[in-house]
Amino acid sequence: MFYRETGDFKASYAADLQTFPIALDRYRFWALIAFAFLVVPFLINDYWASAILVPVLVYSLAALGLNMLTGYCGQVSLGTGAFMAVGAYTCYKLTTAFPELNLIVVVLLSGAMTAMVGIAFGLPSLRIKGFYLAVATLAAQFFIVWLVNKVPWFYNYSATGQISMPERDLFGVLITGPAATPEAKYLFCLAFVFVFGWVARNLVRGRIGRSWMAIRDMDIAAEIIGVPPLQTKLSAFAFSSFYIGIAGALYFGVYLGAAEATEAFSIIESFFVLFAIIIGGLGSITGSFLGAAFMVLLPVTLKNMMVDGVGPVWASVAAIAMFAAGAIAMHSIATASTWLRAVALPLALGVGALLGYGVWTVAVSGGLDTAAAKHFEITLLGVLIIVFLILEPHGLARLWQIAKEKLRLWPFPY
Amino acid sequence: MTDVIRRFNPMKAEGIALILLTLFLLRGAWWFTVADPRDAMFAVETIVSGLLAGVMYSLVALGFVLIFKSSGIFNYAQGVFALFAGLFASGFMNEFGLPVWAALLLTMLVMVIVAILVERFVLQHLVNQEPIILFMATIGLAYVLEGVGDTIWGSDVKVLDVGLPSGASDTLLDGFGLYVEKLEIAAAVIAAILVILLSVFSQYTRIGRALRAVADDHQAALSVGISLRTIWVIVWSIAGFVALVAGVMWGAKSGVQFSLSLIALKALPVLILGGFTSIPGAIIGGLIIGVGEKLAEIYLGTVMNELFGLNPSMFTAIENWFAYVLALAFLLFRPQGLFGDKIIERV
Amino acid sequence: MTLHETQEASNSDADYAAAEIAHGVSPRRIGDVVLDVRDIQLRFGGVVAIKDVSFDIRQGEIRAIIGPNGAGKSSMLNVISGFYHPQQGEIWFEGEKRSAQRPHMIAKQGIARTFQNIALFKGMTTLDNIMTGRLTKMRSNFLWQSLWFGPAMAEEIRHREVVERIIDFLEIQPIRKTPVGKLPYGLQKRVELGRALAAEPKLLLLDEPMAGMNVEEKEDMCRFILDVNEEFGTTIALIEHDMGVVMDISDRVVVLDYGRKIGDGAPDEVRANKDVIDAYLGVSHD
Repeated sequence: MFYRETGDFKASYAADLQTFPIALDRYRFWALIAFAFLVVPFLINDYWASAILVPVLVYSLAALGLNMLTGYCGQVSLGTGAFMAVGAYTCYKLTTAFPELNLIVVVLLSGAMTAMVGIAFGLPSLRIKGFYLAVATLAAQFFIVWLVNKVPWFYNYSATGQISMPERDLFGVLITGPAATPEAKYLFCLAFVFVFGWVARNLVRGRIGRSWMAIRDMDIAAEIIGVPPLQTKLSAFAFSSFYIGIAGALYFGVYLGAAEATEAFSIIESFFVLFAIIIGGLGSITGSFLGAAFMVLLPVTLKNMMVDGVGPVWASVAAIAMFAAGAIAMHSIATASTWLRAVALPLALGVGALLGYGVWTVAVSGGLDTAAAKHFEITLLGVLIIVFLILEPHGLARLWQIAKEKLRLWPFPY
Repeated sequence: MTDVIRRFNPMKAEGIALILLTLFLLRGAWWFTVADPRDAMFAVETIVSGLLAGVMYSLVALGFVLIFKSSGIFNYAQGVFALFAGLFASGFMNEFGLPVWAALLLTMLVMVIVAILVERFVLQHLVNQEPIILFMATIGLAYVLEGVGDTIWGSDVKVLDVGLPSGASDTLLDGFGLYVEKLEIAAAVIAAILVILLSVFSQYTRIGRALRAVADDHQAALSVGISLRTIWVIVWSIAGFVALVAGVMWGAKSGVQFSLSLIALKALPVLILGGFTSIPGAIIGGLIIGVGEKLAEIYLGTVMNELFGLNPSMFTAIENWFAYVLALAFLLFRPQGLFGDKIIERV
Repeated sequence: MTLHETQEASNSDADYAAAEIAHGVSPRRIGDVVLDVRDIQLRFGGVVAIKDVSFDIRQGEIRAIIGPNGAGKSSMLNVISGFYHPQQGEIWFEGEKRSAQRPHMIAKQGIARTFQNIALFKGMTTLDNIMTGRLTKMRSNFLWQSLWFGPAMAEEIRHREVVERIIDFLEIQPIRKTPVGKLPYGLQKRVELGRALAAEPKLLLLDEPMAGMNVEEKEDMCRFILDVNEEFGTTIALIEHDMGVVMDISDRVVVLDYGRKIGDGAPDEVRANKDVIDAYLGVSHD
């Protein structure tokens, strides 16, 4: 069956407004959801849950939140880490103060609390714009982390200054604490991600989303055609912080189990989520998921390859991928230059081969130390950020879309 | 400033906030001068060391202003620039055993190469992008520089001894009973010289004038035959040089380490105070932040205790956020900074 | 896809005709004063952009504002849409004196506009751009919005129908789902007109709707402006440099020069006004 919209007629506006206008996409989406809920829980072990799946889900929520604010409403925030801290500490205070409170309610209230803090720090956004606002959110980042670290009430006067999540269950199944099973943690997070991913999609396609995008694209014109700027920006801050707060609560409660503000919610965390949406795609729901997955998988993959080594089969796969990426990148650079154009193809193949060989030698047996892998990861992230901003500001989501556009016409070129 | 006074309206929220702030400050000042049981010398010491630290902030802020004026880019990586330069300087000296002058010269060469690479691989491709995209690109740049620096030299704390004097200044200690680090005085002197040099450079040299022309209007500058690319390389090299000086000073003081780039980030609130396009603004903003931070660190706890009965020990280690919150409060009243141009919006 | 579109188009044409008959909109009836601008003075620091200008706009007319560059025309439009607040003077809209308000409140009262340099939302499609014109009329709260099914979707569809009618009217069906950043200049201007129309304004302000267009595009745009005025009975105030166009389509013309009003009246009167001729052709002041 070809990937087509031909024959898939829309007879009403409702049908035209669907998230996935192409039938095949719809089936595939529901198949994926069914797989995630019904099959994955039986496959995962502790490593997969705690090193990959749960963090991907948690960061997806945070990325969705930041994407609403930055990708859709155009307000850059460097305070994501601090807002996650607000969610985490609210979650901690609520679970310890009201042990009977349902865990779902706790998480939602953590989001609500963060939304209020977000609104407070969003208030300046009416008067200050762009990177000025970014500096203002830095104030939130440093101030909040300092506050929760300094006032003992926030960590219940514990001697270490750490907060640790007590054991809580949901319908008799342990969700938090060291005894909770990976399946329970995974499903709990997945449920939140599924519901709030769907809500995010609804928000951005309707009145609220259009107001955000109008403010993002041209704030003055938006105000003149009737979009109230303060209300719109504050709603973006509120929803964004709500999501980030939930992510923070899950990050602390389910994923980490114990946290210390200056370690777990530093500015590094803010950048982590910002990078996720840049790489995944600014202003894209799919992109938030792709970006979060990418950001979680990158260090894991690099560590596996550079430190532990992955054996000849996977090393070959990585080498071929590196060869392709290097060759394509070099080719586009060479064709843009006047004096390299003539040798573009051999140059691209040469550089690609060199890079591929390098990757193979490293990946096949590993052996580098962890610090080196970390430094390489930082460099690579920086390079990727710049490359994505230059070539494709809409990120992985856009690349995915382009691939689908091509597929829609394939095998005919027009 | 006159503009602020003219617009002052005691009935508006801004006016009320301003009155409250003034009363608060007066109360603090009263307490500070009359009720303080401590030695007044200590306050002077605090202010002096604040001023000296402020000079360092000004220095990093200068790098920001230069780049912002000439290319409209808000260079987040400026702080990491200083770290990067510090890493190379200490690396050349400690690992290769080069003399100070050679190490600094080589590091400067590295910074010029970085400027050329940045122009070639980043700026050129982002010329007409939104400022905010450029800003995020410089965050990427910061990561690249940090990663490369760490990969080459490792991420442990490094000693950097470029022969600057250390210990307390004897003259001040004996003559006035003030304890001031010699290193801080040296840093302040060097920063001041640098600031004067830069002002002269941009005012009186051909390249300096071209630089200001580009700042005023890219298109017009291009049409009279100024090469934007060359200008950018020069400006980023100068910013690299400023970062080198800052990196060496800080490195000499507390070792070359990652936190250096975070300290340098404080140049951002400095700029908000001073305005993004003003060199004097960067200097004065730096001094205000430096002094304000030191004073707040020492006296805010006591003042808060005096006024609201709060536990004074809560208000320690506020250096992390004080500058940002001060800048945020300032932004609300005067978004263009002390010396920045007034923003008139158009459609 | 195409079949579906044409069918839909003819349907809504019929709807529209029916609606017209039902409401008994009779074209070209010029009524009372809608907007009255009295003694406006606007300064930027020491520069006086508008000095004691008064004029009115009547229900259902096409009112042109002309004048040389820097005469204060765009500033005047910005004052009317509430983006600039004049230091002196009053603005009366629909018989009520207007207090200083934020522009979005003024949009809500029924004043929509286009901009001299196109101010479309570049990251959004044509359809979404025109839908933003409906934002002032959308009500559903965020809870329904997050659920989507129910009131939010019903509202979306209701407004989509109106927007589709505008898309048909402006003949831009094929670019419905194209991001506006990719459209040629002339089409962007048309989309911007569509966005203003979507607000169903009582007063429509057009800032140089034909600037930078070729003859053919200008003719199209003229036709749309006249159609909007005749069929919907919308009051229009426009700034334009092309004198031929201004004289052809407008009912009354106000002339500004250096921020002052130097002429006001029917096109023929203005054409004969000595001050106006001097302002446009230049005169030796002795």
